[in-house]
Amino acid sequence: MNCHQCQQNCDIEKSNWWQRLTRKHRSKQVKAVDGNIALVGTPNVGKSVLFHKLTRVYVDVSNYPGTTVEINRGVAKIKGHQIRVIDTPGMYSLVPISEEEKVGRNLLSQESFDAVIHVVDAKNLGRMLPLTFQLIEAGLPVVLAINMMDEADNLGLKVQSDALQTELNIPVILMSATLNRGMRELKQTILQCLSIQPEATLNTLNNLETAR
Amino acid sequence: MSSQITYPQPIEQAIAELESWLENLAALGQSSVLGQYTLSPRSLALLLLQKDPDLWSILKQDRKQQQEIEILLTVTQNKLKYPIDLAIAEARQKQAHSLEARTIQATKPAQNSFKETLHRLTINPLTGFPILVIILYFGIYKFVGEFGAGELVDRIEGFFEGQINPVVNQIVAQIIPWQSIQDLIGNDYGIITLGIRYATAIVLPIVATYFLMFSLLEDSGYLPRMSLMLDRLFKSIGLSGRAVIPMVLGLGCDTMATMVTRTLETKRERLIATFLLAIAIPCAAQWGVILGLLAQKPAALMVWGSLVVAIFLVIGFLSAKLFPGKSGAFYLEIPPLRLPKLRNILTKTWIRMKWYFWEILPLFIWASVFIWLGKLTGIFDLIVRAIEPFTVAMGMPAATAPVFLYGFFRRDYGAAGLFDMQQQGSLTGNQLVVAAIVLTLFLPCIAQLQIMIKERGLKTTTAMIAFIIPFAFGMGYCVNLGLNILGVSL
Repeated sequence: MNCHQCQQNCDIEKSNWWQRLTRKHRSKQVKAVDGNIALVGTPNVGKSVLFHKLTRVYVDVSNYPGTTVEINRGVAKIKGHQIRVIDTPGMYSLVPISEEEKVGRNLLSQESFDAVIHVVDAKNLGRMLPLTFQLIEAGLPVVLAINMMDEADNLGLKVQSDALQTELNIPVILMSATLNRGMRELKQTILQCLSIQPEATLNTLNNLETAR
Repeated sequence: MSSQITYPQPIEQAIAELESWLENLAALGQSSVLGQYTLSPRSLALLLLQKDPDLWSILKQDRKQQQEIEILLTVTQNKLKYPIDLAIAEARQKQAHSLEARTIQATKPAQNSFKETLHRLTINPLTGFPILVIILYFGIYKFVGEFGAGELVDRIEGFFEGQINPVVNQIVAQIIPWQSIQDLIGNDYGIITLGIRYATAIVLPIVATYFLMFSLLEDSGYLPRMSLMLDRLFKSIGLSGRAVIPMVLGLGCDTMATMVTRTLETKRERLIATFLLAIAIPCAAQWGVILGLLAQKPAALMVWGSLVVAIFLVIGFLSAKLFPGKSGAFYLEIPPLRLPKLRNILTKTWIRMKWYFWEILPLFIWASVFIWLGKLTGIFDLIVRAIEPFTVAMGMPAATAPVFLYGFFRRDYGAAGLFDMQQQGSLTGNQLVVAAIVLTLFLPCIAQLQIMIKERGLKTTTAMIAFIIPFAFGMGYCVNLGLNILGVSL
């Protein structure tokens, strides 16, 4: 509820005449603006790379845990849908230890998301699954993105995503963001998670009209 | 849901009680805890059991509620062998590992022993320090110092001095009749002949080579290993090993590193780290320019290096003593060593360079304008004359006074000014070392100052600055005195 209000407010605040002009122009290609997703996970699993791949917004990426200390926001365009993407600082658990972890937790607990993508390192799945459990427990729409599959392959690790998917009862995607592997599946899953599909919006709008 | 974890029985019981308590609250409309949080009741219950600080601060608003929950916690705790949060974490961990075992198979025996050996070599102090020295020598000294600050700067500087400056001066002289306006754009301190020249010819090539090297080290995964190794050193002076992270990042950019001090657990650690970053960690631009200054005199470079390290250790030790308190445990994710991808490194270097360049260019241009204004009104000469006694006391020629004045604006600008003087051969080895030390210790750049104020508050920042300025000059004085007494001339 809060979130939807906020979104509307934000849009109204931001749209001055120039942006309205450009947006109008753009909206011909874009079918709908829907969806809000977040990227979460322990430090150094590739959230920022994924964020960059999804939104084309560059954030400083490094092979060094804790590089992202602030929330980055961007918009991903998937098949004409505009989806807000939020990149969070790394967190180990829902109970925050340091300041930047708090930022991510508060975000998750106070905004509502259509999908929360938990990015994990395929090589250290066991260490990262506890956060997945916590996210599921919290009732969030979790998608498990098992990243760095290329490195897991090199180590000879074989991940049975189907088994994980049935055990966890959430979508599981094997990917390697730097190599663009699994990006299509992820995008498809994100679209499936969107609560409002374009056709559905039209229908509900029509229903509302008739109801009135 | 099938994926729900079952916790030990006492915890499950407590969860159930908390859940119904939360639901009652919601039903009564007193959703003080639930209201703000969109998390599920089960999750909120678990957070309460783990004594989540945020939730507890909300809970404290109601004395009765708090007491009730505290009783529930004690009762639950008494039924368990371990602390509640540990029991919860263990249940999750166990489930996670059994799930991992069921869904992941190793198809080939663990090998890749080369990476493993390399990893061991980099973190073992016996082999790690030599490796660090080798990386510093080839990566920083040879590549940034000699190639970037030597070759590249010479070429671009030469191009500026030979091709651009005379042309600019000539054009300015022809189209602008007033000498004072001519000086704003051309001649000794002009926007183009000094401001833009410093930014593009001196600072840019140095920063570019440094960022390239830093990105390479970063993407290879060497930096966390370096942190791990330095952790011991930090602990020996009483600092938390976690503080290594911002320090190492500070070698790239102190401003960014000051922001990263947020990852430190306690206020004390954040304070010490911010202070050390402001005083003793040279950023990419400083490193580079100072390396360029001292590259021809290896002995001077050694003196500078060991003095800065010594100052860092002593200040770290003293401030750790001054602000007593426990330092948090160091827990650092060690990413794998990777062969860096050229494209990623180039993009990263390019983006950082662009960011840096656009940040300094206007500042350098402003500095030119200020100097011009100051010269025009005579204020500049007044300030320079006020600084002169200090620079002379440090054994510096009077002509370096303006350089320190620039240093007020930005350390790299001051360093570039020194570089200019050194190119003309007007400084001795001793003077170079003293100047380099003072500039390293001196005030951070404007951007870092802003972040310091934002992160630590105006009062703390002012106190730090009030210490740093006299300390920097005092050290310069002492070093000069020491070198003179020992009769060393570098």
